[in-house]
Amino acid sequence: MGQSSVGPIIVRRLLWLPVLLMLISLTVFLFGTYGPGDPVLVRLGNKANPEAVERVREELGLNRPLHEQYLNYLGKVLQGDFGESYKYPGVAVTDLIASRLFVSLQLGVMTTLIVFAIGIPLGVITAALQGRAWDRIIVSLALIPESIPVFVLIPIVYFIFVRQLRWFPASGWDGIFSLNAILPLFVLSLGGVASVLRQTRTNTLEVLHNDYVRTARAKGLPSRTILFRHVLRNSLLPLWTAVGFIIASLPAGSIIVEGLMGIPGIGELAWNAIFQRDYPVIMAITLLGATLYVIGNLIVDIGYPLIDPRIRY
Amino acid sequence: MWTTRKLLALAALGLFVFASNPACRLIQGVQNPGSSNPNQPGPGPRVSREGTLTLLGGDPPTLDPATSGDATSATYIVEIFSGLLTLDKDLRVVPDLAEKWDVSADGRTYTFTIRRDAKFHDGKQVKASDFKYSWERAANPRTLSPTADTYLGDIVGVADMLAGRAQQISGVRVVDDSTLQVTIDEPKAYFLAKMSYPTSFVVDRENIERGGRTWTDRPNGTGPFKLREWRKGQNIILERNENWFKGAPNLRQVNYILSGGSAMTMYENDEIDATVFGILDAERILDPSPNNQLLKEVVRDKDGQPGVAILSTFYIAFNVTKPPFDDVKIRQAMNYAVDKDRIIDVVLRNMDIRADGILPPGMPGFNPQLRGYRFDPATAKRLVAESKYPDLSRFDITLSTVGAGANPARHIQALTEMWKTNIGLDAKIEQVEWATFLDDQFAKKYTFFEGPGWIADYPDPQNFLDILFYSKSQQNHTNYANPEVDRLLLQARVERDQNTRIRIYQQVEQLIMDDAVWVPIFHEKQFWLVKPYVKGFVVPPMVIPTLQYISIQR
Repeated sequence: MGQSSVGPIIVRRLLWLPVLLMLISLTVFLFGTYGPGDPVLVRLGNKANPEAVERVREELGLNRPLHEQYLNYLGKVLQGDFGESYKYPGVAVTDLIASRLFVSLQLGVMTTLIVFAIGIPLGVITAALQGRAWDRIIVSLALIPESIPVFVLIPIVYFIFVRQLRWFPASGWDGIFSLNAILPLFVLSLGGVASVLRQTRTNTLEVLHNDYVRTARAKGLPSRTILFRHVLRNSLLPLWTAVGFIIASLPAGSIIVEGLMGIPGIGELAWNAIFQRDYPVIMAITLLGATLYVIGNLIVDIGYPLIDPRIRY
Repeated sequence: MWTTRKLLALAALGLFVFASNPACRLIQGVQNPGSSNPNQPGPGPRVSREGTLTLLGGDPPTLDPATSGDATSATYIVEIFSGLLTLDKDLRVVPDLAEKWDVSADGRTYTFTIRRDAKFHDGKQVKASDFKYSWERAANPRTLSPTADTYLGDIVGVADMLAGRAQQISGVRVVDDSTLQVTIDEPKAYFLAKMSYPTSFVVDRENIERGGRTWTDRPNGTGPFKLREWRKGQNIILERNENWFKGAPNLRQVNYILSGGSAMTMYENDEIDATVFGILDAERILDPSPNNQLLKEVVRDKDGQPGVAILSTFYIAFNVTKPPFDDVKIRQAMNYAVDKDRIIDVVLRNMDIRADGILPPGMPGFNPQLRGYRFDPATAKRLVAESKYPDLSRFDITLSTVGAGANPARHIQALTEMWKTNIGLDAKIEQVEWATFLDDQFAKKYTFFEGPGWIADYPDPQNFLDILFYSKSQQNHTNYANPEVDRLLLQARVERDQNTRIRIYQQVEQLIMDDAVWVPIFHEKQFWLVKPYVKGFVVPPMVIPTLQYISIQR
């Protein structure tokens, strides 16, 4: 299975990772320094007076030469110290991110599982039933959630399940296996289910027209075997590519859903950090995102030959 | 089916990669948030827990009295900590940990007597030396206090300490365990009001030295409530201080949900006991029809009107040194050209109060007889014609305002329309994101701007007039400099007769309004809904401790 040929890829990618992270951190750092807005003023607010501003700038080390600031930061990061948040004085960035990331990860991983667990089978089924009534009904219904933005969906969901039926709380977070998680998961996965369904259906239909499928039919294999053994695997390949992006987007959380549904995830933290010019937090989240991006793509690349043995590196 | 097994294995590998990522390793040991908390809301009506109040709260940057400078942090800090003095519901300065104080004949030395029963949450006696420690900590440049200059700066020696020239505050003397003597630079009457602000609150040295950078996770305060739990961005739980010297508060516990959410839905779904509401929900909530249950739950002011005025003024400001606003006639014309009543009525739906001057109603010195500017387009036109700039259309003017998106606040759109129609001033509206706005306002880059509003920090007219209009004040964003105003402001700082002082400030306010440095627009009102079983809920005009007045009665 080409195990020996996957190894170098992993090594090569991982060797590139530190270089990539350096470049990204330098870019974010320069944006922070030369972009508009001053973290010291945001911290001190509308009523800041120049003496306090100067003092805080000095104490945070923002008066030092740029290269010194950057190298200082890098040195600490290499020791696992991402510094303290500007917004929450005294709070380590790692502590701030950890608990939020945990919430967003739970939601993200669960959403992904739901999306694939429902979307893929539905896609295969509708492909198998192509042109029949059920296919048409499911495919047209799938268009609805795909075209409703979450900020429209949330009020509708609230009206039905919270205000009218009173089945679920409107907000709060109590872990992924609680009533609080159901509405966010529903909102987050609805559009994904629909798009995975459509993609799987299209891919499956494409594969169904291949010669080898006809051959399999001709030699009298039952259609279920054809569908799940020969067709599904090949039609999954394009979807597998999407997994890399999903993994990469996990640390971004979902700003809108987290904000409107009161979930203490990382999306909200990142959003606020940007407006508060909380650079240590922005930096850490960006680096985390970049790392996951590389790892996500690596997983996808390692996965290709497993799904399709014809692919070799 | 070995393929499926492989895929599962791959998924497991993926999860393993997450878990072994350095950043994720930190989350090991993080408990499932909320699972250990019996008060976490479940579905359906559930705020019936005895003596517990649940609110949607702002996410405080800090709970350290010395490093906080924002209203959100102060909301929690004033409940957990306390100082020598406090403000009552009518914003009067009243004793708190100090039972009394004496002022020396020259008005510069205050001798505070600390209550014998003033105790930290852990039962330790509060001593005069604790205050000295707390203030010197706030004035230590390493503490990074954003507010020490403003609130402690009147005390002799604080400036030296802040500048790193001294290790102690020379103006603070511990006479004995219960006597603290404070010397200020000039006999300033508003000094006492500043003693009710978090920067001057007492903290426990042992607590801070043992707790390190995160000591506020377990603060040993002196206030009516103790912090039981604080998960940043998630929730804050306060529980009552059974040994508070004024007696244990009625509320057993207060839960603040910090992670946001849809406030009105949460209120109507009985997930929170009170909420603030805005103009979008106002029509429905304030609908006078008899079967509107919500209207009965609206918090009313002393006159029985819905909503409570906040000590704040929202205004348009000019840089009075930049053309065309360097001509007082133009500034006056700008004031005469706006129909504020229509803006308040049509755009703000009467949810705010028209502002005619600088000081908000409820602030000592508020002057109902102040001569402001009525809506008078004819006078506005005449003033423009008489000014140095009779043709305003040749100016390329930008009105800078805080905000984002392509849709500026409706009152701003209405104002620019009125200026255009009535005096031919066609201002472009520029929306500036908050951090950038602060930057540019600080650098005095703006010629014509709507600030984020000025909200009182302490109930004294000095907090508005002196800070914003004294020519050498660091927060004078308009570059206004009037020698007569300066002279009166300096006089008012040290005037010891309260009535004379107020009269001087009223005179100052009139001069500033005659010079038309601002176009005052409105004073903000806050609208709250409170469940009928919550008694004594207070919507204060500024941040003061209020939880002690609340009880839950079914």
